Amino acid sequence: MSDSNTMKAEQRTQFGKGAARKIRRAGKVPAVMYGHGTDPVHITIPGHEAMLALKHANAVLTIVIDGTEQLALAKDVQRNPIKPVIEHVDLVIVRKGEKVVVDVPIHIDGESATETVVALESPTLQVHAEATNIPESIVVSVAGLPAGSQLLAGALELPAGVELASDADLLVVNVTQMISQEALDAELAGEEGEAAEAPAAPTPAASDSES
Amino acid sequence: MLIPRRVKHRKQHHPGRSGAAKGGTKIAFGDYGIQALEPAYVTNRQIESARIAMTRFIKRGGKVWINIYPDRPLTKKPAETRMGSGKGSPEWWIANVKPGRVMFELSGVSEDVAREAMRLAMHKLPMKCRFIRREGGDI
Repeated sequence: MSDSNTMKAEQRTQFGKGAARKIRRAGKVPAVMYGHGTDPVHITIPGHEAMLALKHANAVLTIVIDGTEQLALAKDVQRNPIKPVIEHVDLVIVRKGEKVVVDVPIHIDGESATETVVALESPTLQVHAEATNIPESIVVSVAGLPAGSQLLAGALELPAGVELASDADLLVVNVTQMISQEALDAELAGEEGEAAEAPAAPTPAASDSES
Repeated sequence: MLIPRRVKHRKQHHPGRSGAAKGGTKIAFGDYGIQALEPAYVTNRQIESARIAMTRFIKRGGKVWINIYPDRPLTKKPAETRMGSGKGSPEWWIANVKPGRVMFELSGVSEDVAREAMRLAMHKLPMKCRFIRREGGDI
């Protein structure tokens, strides 16, 4: 993500869950900004703009506090697990040209050989990239790969200016043979039989003392 | 069917049902998931039934993950029994699922196939659920 999203922020003076909830009720998001040896700055950012800007991983935002612009990378975004609400954002101060370590999502492209299943073992890859030029994703082609193929992090083609930060031996994509129809039928038949035969009230395998 | 091999105490109190899931609220392994929207006790039979529904639909492609485990016993007194005389006998094994928990994950299939497989699986579960997928900003 290289788009920089500008948003006006206000400095927070009240802390704690009560104050944070008040901010959220007003349609804003509490956030904290730190990095480069500076003291953490507690801020609020507009909720809707934050939601739009943080749709992509590793978003770089331009935060304006009292007329001063500051480039910041979204390091951690806390979302409500049920509602589409951002609860808090951690921002790391970055400078233009500075290299940062970020997790970039991996996307699989193409279709492997027939009768194979592609498993993405690592959905993200840790890379060193320029803060203002972080790739949105790394595309891995699995076109025509036969069963038994494995793609390691070190073998992936990274965009220009991006270096691998994670272990080069990290397994990223694993192509395996599809389960045979007979094996699947046997598995499903076996499971259904087992489920039908299973006792309605399985007694815990009591071992030790039970008072 | 999932069942603990060995337990320390045969009978437990009913697990608490309040609050939301503390963890396991994001997709960890696959590309798609079933997320609980209500609290519920999910029995090992329901978990197995949902898994079979998905496996049957995706046929030979894809991989299914089960992120919950039925490790809590629930007891029941026999019918037409007078009150008292101690706690009933263990009857079910359940997973205590709270809202937000991702219970099943799926990968290796297209989104259309995953949606349909998970829709079939959701019918086997005792609470409102939704289909989720790995988002760009949610890694």
